[in-house]
Amino acid sequence: MTRHNRILLSCVYWAFVAYVFVPLILMVMMGFKDSKFIGFPIKSWTLDWYTGVFADTETLAAFGYSVAIAVLSTVISVIVGTWIAVLLEGRKFWGRAVIFGMTVLPALIPGIISAIAFRIYARYLGIEPGMGAIVWSHAVHNVPFVVLVVMARLSTLPKSQIEAARDLGADPLIAFLRITFPYLVPAIMGASIFCLLLSFDDFVRSFFLGGYEPTLPVLIFAKLKSGMSPEINAIATVALVLTAVIGVWAERFTRRMNKDS
Amino acid sequence: MTYDASAREERGAVAESASDRTFWGRLSSWAPYQWLATFATASPRRQFLILAVFPILWVLTQHLGPMLQMLRVSLTDAYPVAPGVEQHFTFDNYLSFFGDSIFWMPFFRTLIFAGVFTFCTLIITYPVAYFLARHVSPKNRMLLLLLLLIPFWVGEIVRTYAIMILLGNTGAVNMVLRFFGLIDRPIPFMYTSFSMGVGIVYLTALYMLLPLYSALEKLPKSMNEAAADLGAGAWTRFRRITLPMTLEGISSGCTLVFLISTGFYATPVLLGGPSTTVFAETIAGFFHVAGDQWPTGAAFAVIMFLAALLITAAFQRLMNALRKGDTK
Repeated sequence: MTRHNRILLSCVYWAFVAYVFVPLILMVMMGFKDSKFIGFPIKSWTLDWYTGVFADTETLAAFGYSVAIAVLSTVISVIVGTWIAVLLEGRKFWGRAVIFGMTVLPALIPGIISAIAFRIYARYLGIEPGMGAIVWSHAVHNVPFVVLVVMARLSTLPKSQIEAARDLGADPLIAFLRITFPYLVPAIMGASIFCLLLSFDDFVRSFFLGGYEPTLPVLIFAKLKSGMSPEINAIATVALVLTAVIGVWAERFTRRMNKDS
Repeated sequence: MTYDASAREERGAVAESASDRTFWGRLSSWAPYQWLATFATASPRRQFLILAVFPILWVLTQHLGPMLQMLRVSLTDAYPVAPGVEQHFTFDNYLSFFGDSIFWMPFFRTLIFAGVFTFCTLIITYPVAYFLARHVSPKNRMLLLLLLLIPFWVGEIVRTYAIMILLGNTGAVNMVLRFFGLIDRPIPFMYTSFSMGVGIVYLTALYMLLPLYSALEKLPKSMNEAAADLGAGAWTRFRRITLPMTLEGISSGCTLVFLISTGFYATPVLLGGPSTTVFAETIAGFFHVAGDQWPTGAAFAVIMFLAALLITAAFQRLMNALRKGDTK
């Protein structure tokens, strides 16, 4: 009975793996098709679509734009998120639960509503749609993830280390910079990569807060609305490979860092 | 654990020569820094304030601010305000929602779709999480889980496009069916609620899988063994032990997936058709045209958010009641 269950469940697992991977594999394959027409079967293959991508200034510009937004918003999210985490973790004060609730709020608001709220607020603050607005919205949206990751790590910091540093004459700031911060580095690295990918992949906020210049997901969306073409597959594949490689590397990296310390 | 500035000064003279050589030693004996540190740590209260002011201001203005501003705009008759026009307080934006089926039809459709898709995600991922947590050795578990995480690093748009290629008229599914002679003309999967469902389940599966997995992993194996010894069959054990013990994971997974699925905009636009317009598209419509429709769009976003919150809150209460009922 258990044996049967086990075999059945492992079939379900591998079927799920297929469901998750097959669409992406098909999409990658279609980027090599030697025809303008999207669809199976693929009779002949070509690399032209890829060389096209690397020669197309519009795509390259969108790519650079997305990377710049991701980096800037991540820097802000990480600084603010770490600060909030240090305030909230292991400290009891009046209103802490309320502050915590508000901290995770941006992560719980459904995408479209968050985008609309940011759009309205950006206008209220006088931020023009464009790079600044996108960076700001991504930064705010990603703060909760940094806070949660850093808080989890901070809760495992041995209090005795801080006390020892303080006994030896370190003031709170130096104790933070020399003991707490190095201890948090793995969590901060993990959270940064997560934020980078969230920002790079984000569509809905970039779409509603963007100016005339498209980010990569917005560019792919615009191209898709005007029709499918293997060119889009090539662009999407480049984005896919990049994000998947960074994601997998980060996963391994953070696990190794966690093991070491 | 408060810092005592006076103790530091006493020790200062002795520590000076040794700590001078390092960067930190030089920093802590640098006069402006010393002045700053003494100022900041003069009392525990001041120390706390310096730490707390920025985060609290940030959370209030950046996290809560946008929502409050949206609420405010939804209660006005004109935004942005044109010069020479007076802005009035009004409920008209909310009332207009009930006036036209073109508005509330997509609204209810979104909630029903999100509910159905959440349920589908649960049914699909539960066995997968169960297999990973109960039937795989801890050594392989991480590997098999990581394998599933890889595609989820890929963005929303790219994955939606992958589903378009899978389900299109000349897509992979139709090609396979044709190859085996099961159909002679392609089945129109695309631009229906089916293609939308496949896409949304594809995008949200991970958010269901992880809470379920961690709930199942915490469940002690001994409980199931004890029940088996007492003669409980596989189905009874699942119904009486595994399911009640993982209700918490189910509850948080469903809440997360429900909230995320109500917020999708690009996926319904690309995978859905005219008969599957969701509320996100309705809301977005008010922001693509001239600015004078913003208050209505804001009101609709508020309605959507409140509805999603109410439903998830009711759902969580139900799950809590179920959990309490089972432990009795």
